[in-house]
Amino acid sequence: MGGNHYGVMKRIILSCMIGLPLVLLLSVLSISYYFFTHSIESATTASIVRIVEDHRDMIDTFLRERKADLAFILRSYTFKALSNPRELDAVFERLQEKSNTFVDLGVFNEAGLHVAYHGPYKLVGRVYREATWFKEVMKNGYYISDVFLGYRRLPHFVIAVGRQEGGKTWVIRATIDTYMFNHIVEGVHIGKTGEAYLLNAKGVFQTQRRSGGNLMAGDPEALELPESQSSTRTFMQKDSRGEKFLYATTWLREKNWLLVVRQEKSDAFKALYTATYLVLMVSVLGGAVIILAAFFLTGRIVSRIKRADTEKKDLGEQLIRASRLAELGEMAAGFAHEINNPLQIIRSEQALIEAILSDLKEAGGLKESKDLAELEDSLGQIRLQIDRCAKITQSILKFGRQSEPLLEDIDLRDYIPQVTAMISKKASVHGIKLVHDISEDSPLVNADPGQLQQVLMNLLNNAFDAIVSRHGSEGGELTVGVAPRDSEKVEIWVKDNGSGISPENLKKIFSPFFTTKPIGKGTGLGLSVCYGIIDSMGGTIEVASEKGVGATFTITLPAAG
Amino acid sequence: MKEMKMMLVDDEERFLSTTKKLLARKGHDVLTATSGPEALEMLREHNIHVVILDVKMPGMDGIAALKQIKRQYPMVEVIMLTGHATAESAVEGLKSGATDYLMKPTDIEELLGKAEEAFEKRKRLEEKIRVAQMRTLSGSPRDIIRETEEP
Repeated sequence: MGGNHYGVMKRIILSCMIGLPLVLLLSVLSISYYFFTHSIESATTASIVRIVEDHRDMIDTFLRERKADLAFILRSYTFKALSNPRELDAVFERLQEKSNTFVDLGVFNEAGLHVAYHGPYKLVGRVYREATWFKEVMKNGYYISDVFLGYRRLPHFVIAVGRQEGGKTWVIRATIDTYMFNHIVEGVHIGKTGEAYLLNAKGVFQTQRRSGGNLMAGDPEALELPESQSSTRTFMQKDSRGEKFLYATTWLREKNWLLVVRQEKSDAFKALYTATYLVLMVSVLGGAVIILAAFFLTGRIVSRIKRADTEKKDLGEQLIRASRLAELGEMAAGFAHEINNPLQIIRSEQALIEAILSDLKEAGGLKESKDLAELEDSLGQIRLQIDRCAKITQSILKFGRQSEPLLEDIDLRDYIPQVTAMISKKASVHGIKLVHDISEDSPLVNADPGQLQQVLMNLLNNAFDAIVSRHGSEGGELTVGVAPRDSEKVEIWVKDNGSGISPENLKKIFSPFFTTKPIGKGTGLGLSVCYGIIDSMGGTIEVASEKGVGATFTITLPAAG
Repeated sequence: MKEMKMMLVDDEERFLSTTKKLLARKGHDVLTATSGPEALEMLREHNIHVVILDVKMPGMDGIAALKQIKRQYPMVEVIMLTGHATAESAVEGLKSGATDYLMKPTDIEELLGKAEEAFEKRKRLEEKIRVAQMRTLSGSPRDIIRETEEP
């Protein structure tokens, strides 16, 4: 039953000790991870939205300012004045002072004829009546073009503004440096992979994309363009390489261009990935620590319980043994007492026979003969055997009827040498070395000095017998020691290097009538009497021995006070 | 007062008869009783010096009998005969006025020896009483005054 029982206990404790903290740890981690993820995501999204909107405002402002520059020129000069190339040169220089993004400046009459031009190309004389931009200016008063190649075969875009003057509309047009414009649009730096670019209404790049994507090429990601003038939008999309990006898009106000800000997801949510990594690490490490601790603690708890159980069992056995001994003692005492009465009669009868016999002899009624001698011998034997019986019954009575101990405080440091002094002569006769190992800090004990002496003498005499049977009269060693065991108990031990006690005898050693001595030499009551005496003083007596090595009897007594 | 008169009290009749015979052979007159009441009865009828009394008897036990004997006949010496090996019952008997104790199974010589010791004690006691009585009768008033003045 034992092993299985502890196994079940171990499993229950283990599962509780692992399960509970693990569930707690994982729930705390997952809850915090969930909320952290959520907050990081919304914070990141909010930040990219803010960036795209700020950027849009900046680009809008840039376009509006350029438009306003041109409008200001239109208001400040007449068509005639600006048609003069020299005047136009001066105006352009002032314009460039304000913003160096202007590449050229041209003046057109209402028929779309390029009348004056300042710039690197020779465009004067060309007619733009059918060009889309011209038509749009005529219709709306201004126009910002998509990026296109035009006559120059170079990507550029233009801003054109028209003015009514004397019933005729005239137009000025400026080309914006796409390099400079690119620079403004691109000027967004978020993380490592954050970038910004513009798409026109057909999804064609209006600025370069830092991560690849040429001006005027179609967007390889083929974004689904939101409806014109709708509000800012964020979404997640994979690019052609399978990389996930976080996008934020918004339409410009000044021109039908879509501003796109995007960042690689892994970059945008870098903090999140770090957190995930940490959470995983903590889970794994924490789990491992919990499991290790659980195994360690469970092992200790179970072994502690095992030990307590063993101790309990031992204690129970001791109690049973003690009560059995007490019962046996009572019975033996009663028995011995009853035997003494018939013994008394036998003794009287024997004495009478002896008396009659000697009277007869004196009176001459009996002649000396072999038969008479045998009769007398037989009578003597009866007397001897009665004495033997008497000795046995007396030992039994001593064992059964322990008188109450008269306790007093004994200083063992003086007491033990006094007791051993009584046997020192016997020891030297048998060549036994008598050793004292008496600790100076031994406290007083509370015991009956007479009874304790009886016990010690018994142990010492037994030790002598054991030593003599092994060593003869040389090489024996007997140690009597005293030391405090803890604050409440004192140990006295008698250790010999005699013949030792076999394990099966060890179990029965305190039982009454158990003896290994030859018949007639021992009653088998000595140690059981010792046991009874020490027990009545509130102490214990134990034995440890190995056959052929020696034996140690240890008496534990309560300390005085 | 020249001859010791003993009485054995025990519930074992065979013990009584055998011991009586034995002691008779040694020249001692012995009375016997098998119980406490019988012993008291015998004491009333005879002038007995030493009583050997078994501790354990049915009915009135030895200690009770001892107390009765010492109350009624304080001059009688009582030796307790006990089946217990321990001093306990002996101590109890001695406290109640017994002169000595014997342990069963006891030797006839030992028994006789203790009985004679007790008889000697009894004789000494009687002698003392006699001397004291003599002194009281012959003492002068001056002696009495001197005795009371002593601190």
